[in-house]
Order: sequence, then structure tokens, then C-alpha cells
Amino acid sequence: MGAFIALGLFQGAVYGLLAVGIVLVYKAKRVFNFAQGEFGSVAAFSAFYLVVALGLPYWVGVVGGLVAAVGTGLIVERVIVRPLESASRTIMLVALVGVALFTIAITVLIAEPIPRVMPPLIGGSGVNILGAGILPQQLILLAVLAVLAAAMAWFFKTDLGLAVLASSQDIRAAQVVGISPVAISRLVWGMAALLGGVAGLLYAPVGIFTPGFMTLTMLVPAFAAAVLGGMTSLPGAFVGGISIGIVQNLGIYLLGQQLAVPGAAELGVFALLMLVLLIRPQGLLGKEA
Amino acid sequence: MATATLVLTRIRVGNGLWTVLRIVLVLAALALVAYPLIFGGDVWAQRISRGAIYAIIGLSINTLTGHAGQISLGHQAFVGIGAFAAAFMASRLGAPLGFGLGAAALVGAITAAIVGMVALRVSGLYLALVTLAFGMTAETTIFNWREFTGGGAGASAPRPAIVESDFSYALLCLGVLALVLYADWRMVATKTGRALAAVRNNEQIAATLGVNVTGYKLAAFCFSGLAAGLAGGLFAHWNQVVQALDFEFQVALVWVLMTVVGGLRSRLGVIIASAFFALLPLTLPNFLASLPWQPPFLNEAVYHVLPPFIVVVLLLIVLRFFPGGLGQLLAPLTRRTAHKNGDRG
Repeated sequence: MGAFIALGLFQGAVYGLLAVGIVLVYKAKRVFNFAQGEFGSVAAFSAFYLVVALGLPYWVGVVGGLVAAVGTGLIVERVIVRPLESASRTIMLVALVGVALFTIAITVLIAEPIPRVMPPLIGGSGVNILGAGILPQQLILLAVLAVLAAAMAWFFKTDLGLAVLASSQDIRAAQVVGISPVAISRLVWGMAALLGGVAGLLYAPVGIFTPGFMTLTMLVPAFAAAVLGGMTSLPGAFVGGISIGIVQNLGIYLLGQQLAVPGAAELGVFALLMLVLLIRPQGLLGKEA
Repeated sequence: MATATLVLTRIRVGNGLWTVLRIVLVLAALALVAYPLIFGGDVWAQRISRGAIYAIIGLSINTLTGHAGQISLGHQAFVGIGAFAAAFMASRLGAPLGFGLGAAALVGAITAAIVGMVALRVSGLYLALVTLAFGMTAETTIFNWREFTGGGAGASAPRPAIVESDFSYALLCLGVLALVLYADWRMVATKTGRALAAVRNNEQIAATLGVNVTGYKLAAFCFSGLAAGLAGGLFAHWNQVVQALDFEFQVALVWVLMTVVGGLRSRLGVIIASAFFALLPLTLPNFLASLPWQPPFLNEAVYHVLPPFIVVVLLLIVLRFFPGGLGQLLAPLTRRTAHKNGDRG
């Protein structure tokens, strides 16, 4: 059981990392960003192409992957988000789902749906934590999550972060005091894509990856993590991500292994999401408005 | 295109002529379905059944997204649960078809009620998240529950003698579609429709007008679940075998996009778009194979992603250039002049 908790802790780090990006977009735009996972896929596939197919050094792959992710984020902002600024939230959400599906379809078309293995940032054998073998890559992942969640929490204390919040609350009043909504929009989507790219680059080497790997299995737990954390709280995204990872793995242990219920991981996440909305819709660390 | 629409809407035609035009339009639409149904043999009868089933699903999503302004990203779960319920009734209990379809609709509505009661209490689009999580759970847990679904081989759903042939089954599907269409029309034309419009436009204002916001959203979602379950029941007997593979969660995403492409709150647009996407996976491989020149990147895996790819491209075009979807292009034909009918948007 200890091994499952340890596995869940590190699995949860990925959810937390995606949740940080989701929370950023939600704070700034009040919209659920269903494309967050695909920024990670774009980064992972670009890095794989540069490092494995072209044989370039690893840092070139990392930089290239992040540039590709941010580029995708800016294109999404320009082509989809900004023209729909005045449309309803419902339409915006549908459009972001469309972006995610589109990116998956493009990845399948360009890079056939075969499993790939990305070399890790630091090689070497796993560390034994509570009886579970944890790769160095996963340790890095957890550390990066802690740093980025703290950095984003700090960002919202700076003038620029306050400008993002102001623009989110009243776009016209923000314009009056000289905050450009276009610049804010670009900044938010660029940062969200960067965070998604980091998540994708760090998670791809943990196992094998296929087109849509970030969206198909990671996105729902990441949203559950953001909701559990309170949707607007960055420390909440950190705590939520790790909690979801642990709950998911306890679900696998208790339901899957002991009771042989199929799909215990998904069931655990769904049950937790329902419980949070039922008992504490504002989440663990969320504040009103 | 947009200019043409504008010009057409400005033409004012007498009331009598409009009635005639609308009757002609309805007859033309019926003829469009009837011709292949009568002369196309079993292949086209099957295709029309599938189109009608998809149209019911599209209308089901339209109720939720178009009228209530909420999104379900796990609709394939409701359709799937309905399908397995119908198969269970038919093959295990030997119940008549009517009971099976009734059970499918009921199970869909109850599931929607349970999910909705939790997710719709919170304002915002949390239903999208919860249904997505529910859809994944359904895919991995409920549809893998052997006693209910028959495992990998699937559950069989034989057709009773009266709708044994593909032709009569197509008539059944079209009949159910007409029923759902009627229910949708009555819902929009009465108090419920106005209350939903108020909720969709501004929840706070609707609440101050005495509209039970959560109640109406929940009612819309339950109706949506009911129609989805019913469509699932029809799908079960259409295919005669129900497999968990038919209800992967990507399917639900395609359905939502297809409904938006058809045009939210436009029944005709939704039906046309749904039927198009119902037939796309069936006709696309043949169409591509018959091309004189084969693009080199085409293979089995690509066929699998082409329908989602096409729906997304259409969605992006629709959202950018005519946000009302196909329904907006059809508006000059289906609506009288704006001042006569009022703005139904």
C-alpha cells in the first residue's frame, strides 16, 4: 500500500503541473482550458523529433519543444480565442475542445499512432521510496511542480499578475488604466502553453507516449486536481494534483486489486470530483470570486 | 454567402406564400429521405436508420447546449448505457422492443439526473468536467462489467419480427426521431423554453424573475439524457450487437462539435449535420478508395481520425464565419421575416 501512495504522489505531480496551467487560464479568462494537455503533446513530439530523429543535443530538444508549445499557444490565442472573445463561455469551451481534437488528429496524421520512448533528462536507475521504484525523472517532475506553482503564485502578486486579474474582472476598467487586453491575452496563453510544454517534456520520458497521451489520460485528473484545489488557487493546484494522484492509486489498490473492479483509477477520480462538488464546491484552498 | 443571407432575409413574402414554401420545404426534405429509403435497398435503409439515430443524439445535445447553455462531454456514456440496457432487456429478459427502448430512455434520464444533481448546483460549466470524468468511468468501469455488457464479445440485441427488415427498422427510427422532434418543439414553444432562454442568457437575472435556475438546467439535462438513452436503445437494435468499443469518449466530443456545426437551436441544421456525420465513417473509405489518385498518407489509422479532423475544421470555419452554424445559412428558408416571429435566438 505504501508503494501505491508513493506512486500516486509522483503521478500526481503531472496532474498538478497541468492543473497549474488550467488554473492560470481560469483565473485570467474564466474558461476551462481543454487544450492544456495538447500543449504538452506538441512539446513532447517536437522534442522527440529533434533529439531522437535528428540526434541533436538534449537541451536543443527542450528549447525546441518549449518554443513549439508556446508557438501553438499563441496561434490558438490569435486564431481561436481572440475572435471568440465576445462569444459565450459555452462556445469558447466547445472551441477549445475542438483545438484539443484537432491537435490530436494532426499528431496522428503527421507522426503515426505508434508508441515512442523519449530518453529521460537524467538517466540512471530508480530510487526506492516506500517500496516503489521512482525514476529520477519523476523526482525532477515533483520539484519542478513545486517551483512552478510557487512561481505562479508569486506572479499573481506582481504588477503584471495584478494586471491579468484586473483584465479578468473588468476588461473595460482595465483598459482605462492602460492595460492592453490583447497583450494580456497573449501573455496568458503563452504562459499556459509554456507550463503545458514543461509538463509534456517532463512526463513523456516516464513511460511510452502516443498521440494525445496528455489529453486522453491526464486531462481529467488534472481538472479534478484544479477543482479540488479551488480552481483559482495555485497552491491548491499543487495540493490537488498530489491528492488526486494518491486517491487514484489508492483506488487502484483498494478497488482494483482487492475487489477487482475494472477501471478503478477513473472511478476514483470521478468519485472524488463528485464529492468535492457535493461537499465543498469552492475546493480546498479556493476563495470566493 | 453572408450577403446572400442578408438579402434573402429582407425579402418579405406574403403569409400564404410562406406557408406554401414551408410545406414544399418539408415535402422536399421527406422526399430526400424517402427516395433512398425506397429505392436504395438495405444499404440505404441502414444508413438512414443510423442518420436518424445520430439526429436524435444531436437533438439531445442541442437541448442541453443550445437551450440550457451547458455542455456534456460524456454523452457517449448515456447513449452506451441506453444501448446496453436495451440489449439486456432484449436478450436476457426477452422483453418486447417497446419495453427495451423505454428502459433505455429511463436509464439515460436517471443517470443524467444523478450526475446533473451534483454538477449543476455549481454555477459555471462544471457539468463539462463532470460528464467528461463520467464518460471515462463509464468506458472503463460500467462497459467492462461482464454481467451487464457481456465482456469483449458484446451483448446481442436481436430485433423482434415486426422490425426485422432494415426497411421497417428505418421507419421505426424515423418515427422516434419525429417524436423527439415534437418534444423538442413543444419544449421550446412553451414556458420551459422561455425559462431556459432566460437561464442561458443570464442566470442571475433569471433567478430574480423567479426562474428555478438549477431545476430548469437539470430538467434540460434529464431530457437530454432521456433522448440519448433512447438513441442508444435504437443503436443497439440497429447494430444487433453492442460493444464497449462503440462508446469511446472521443465520440462524445465529435457529437458536441457536430451539433455546434449544425447550429445550436436550429433543429433542421442539427439534423442535417448529425446525419452527415453519421454517414461519414461509412461512406468516406469507399469515397477515398474510388479517387483516381491515392494520397500517400492514407491508411487505416488515418481513416479513424479523419471524421474528427473534418468536424473540427468545419467547427473552426463555422465559429469564425457564421456562428449560428448550418442553421444560420438555412434561416432564410425556415424562418419568416424577423419582425414577424420575433428573435428566437
